[in-house]
Amino acid sequence: MSKLSGAYYEIHHMEQLANEDQWVNRIHPLVKLVITVLYIMTVVSVHKYNLARILILGVYPIAMFILGEISFADSIRRVRLILPLVCIVGIFNPFFDRQVIAHIGNIAITTGMISMVTLILKGVYTVFATYILVATTTIEKICYAMRLVHIPGILVTQILLTYRYISVLLKEANTIMQAYLLRAPHQKGVQMKVWGSLVGQLLLRSIDRADNVYASMTLRGYHGEFCYARQKKCSGKDYAYLLLWVAVFGILRYII
Amino acid sequence: MSHIHIDIEHVSFGYETNQNVLNDITFTAHENESIGIIGANGMGKSTLLKLLVGLELPTKGSIYVEEIPVIREMLPKVREKIGYVFQDSESQLFMNTVKEDIAFAPRNYGLPEEEVQAHVQRAMERTHIQHLKDKSIYKLSGGEKKQVAIATILAMTPDIILMDEPTVGLDPQNRRNLIKILNEFNHLKLIASHDLDMVYDTCNRVILIADGQIAADGIPQKILTDKELLECNHLELPLRFQA
Ligand SMILES: Nc1ncnc2c1ncn2[C@@H]1O[C@H](COP(=O)(O)OP(=O)(O)OP(=O)(O)O)[C@@H](O)[C@H]1O
Ligand SMILES: [Mg+2]
Repeated sequence: MSKLSGAYYEIHHMEQLANEDQWVNRIHPLVKLVITVLYIMTVVSVHKYNLARILILGVYPIAMFILGEISFADSIRRVRLILPLVCIVGIFNPFFDRQVIAHIGNIAITTGMISMVTLILKGVYTVFATYILVATTTIEKICYAMRLVHIPGILVTQILLTYRYISVLLKEANTIMQAYLLRAPHQKGVQMKVWGSLVGQLLLRSIDRADNVYASMTLRGYHGEFCYARQKKCSGKDYAYLLLWVAVFGILRYII
Repeated sequence: MSHIHIDIEHVSFGYETNQNVLNDITFTAHENESIGIIGANGMGKSTLLKLLVGLELPTKGSIYVEEIPVIREMLPKVREKIGYVFQDSESQLFMNTVKEDIAFAPRNYGLPEEEVQAHVQRAMERTHIQHLKDKSIYKLSGGEKKQVAIATILAMTPDIILMDEPTVGLDPQNRRNLIKILNEFNHLKLIASHDLDMVYDTCNRVILIADGQIAADGIPQKILTDKELLECNHLELPLRFQA
């Protein structure tokens, strides 16, 4: 599989995951959205030297991976490009913040080291919390939840269509590459001099496709406001699930 | 005058790069008519259908769908009445799964969710695609995409159906089923196609387009049996009349 079709496949695999009929998938999307946002806020609000608290807060992603039967290996593979970025954020702390607070054997532990680890963990948790949301909720449902909390429709539609556009772009790119490679079987990669026209083609074709999709939407009654499938109301279970996590976050953040 | 009809009055159209695709076209399509639009490649069949739903607007002349003029301000009203299956059904589908895509239109028309589901169910039954219900639209075969595209417009319960090459990519059985669906739909339909046998089976009027104009307009029994007329327009007799 080429890189392009691989990427394309990944997106649809994620959608399929999100579409499964597991208990996590069935929880009301608004509840999941709120929990994710609350969790991220809780994590971010922890003090930079409070390593213990940050470690404890890892309970949410860990619990979700286990209870929701989300594959951890897959998730690592999917976020592998973001994780290093997250890690870079804290990497300079040990150099600036050199106050020694303890020794382990001969190694001096500085506050900078602590804050580096906290910062990295905060980043990693945030990424995983988002991943968990996306892996258990389809983009339509997330957008629906966003509309429920009155995020402007135009913004939400943008997000939804941008997401769709990625697939269109990838698919067109893949088709063009395959057509090219089939007619240039002895080449490795794409010749310099045709790059221009390939990229131009890609742009034109994906604009064309986007145009068609838009036409098809308006032909089927779209007037600027996306109509999401109305989800069933939050049930008692949903509220219980929400309260449970809010309580857990509260306890981990303020009490322990 | 009957309720469902389309009036096309002296319509001309050209794309920026290709002036004069259609030239002074005039005809009226009435209720219960089933019109086959035929003609060689690039003669403007698809363009004509696009004009009817306002995807392109005529450079000259005017079009009325049930007395509503096809102009920019009236497009939502016009489009509520018309279901249009694209020639390239791939780009017609855009939701995540088949059932979501079929539900798109009924939901937009504000139907309650149970009715939306009933429409979806019926459209899938009629096109025989229940088994594709939860499939991602990106994983459908060419012919399956066509069937889903047809289901999406059946779910709209339109007054008028426009179809651009609906049989391309369908296996013989699904092609026959499509003919059955088309024959069951008896308000007004316009079908652009090179599949003259299908046109013969489903249409009671045929319009032949050549060089931007209507070269012939009449009953299929007359036009589709006229070997000379068809051949000078790059077409051939339907298979049943060959041999
Ligand atoms: N978007 C466009 N921009 C410019 N010219 C176009 C565009 N779409 C079609 N044309 C041109 O307009 C003419 C009519 O095209 P149209 O697609 O209506 O033909 P058609 O009769 O449907 O052909 P086919 O049988 O191949 O589907 C063709 O010459 C085509 O090259
Ligand atoms: Mg065409």
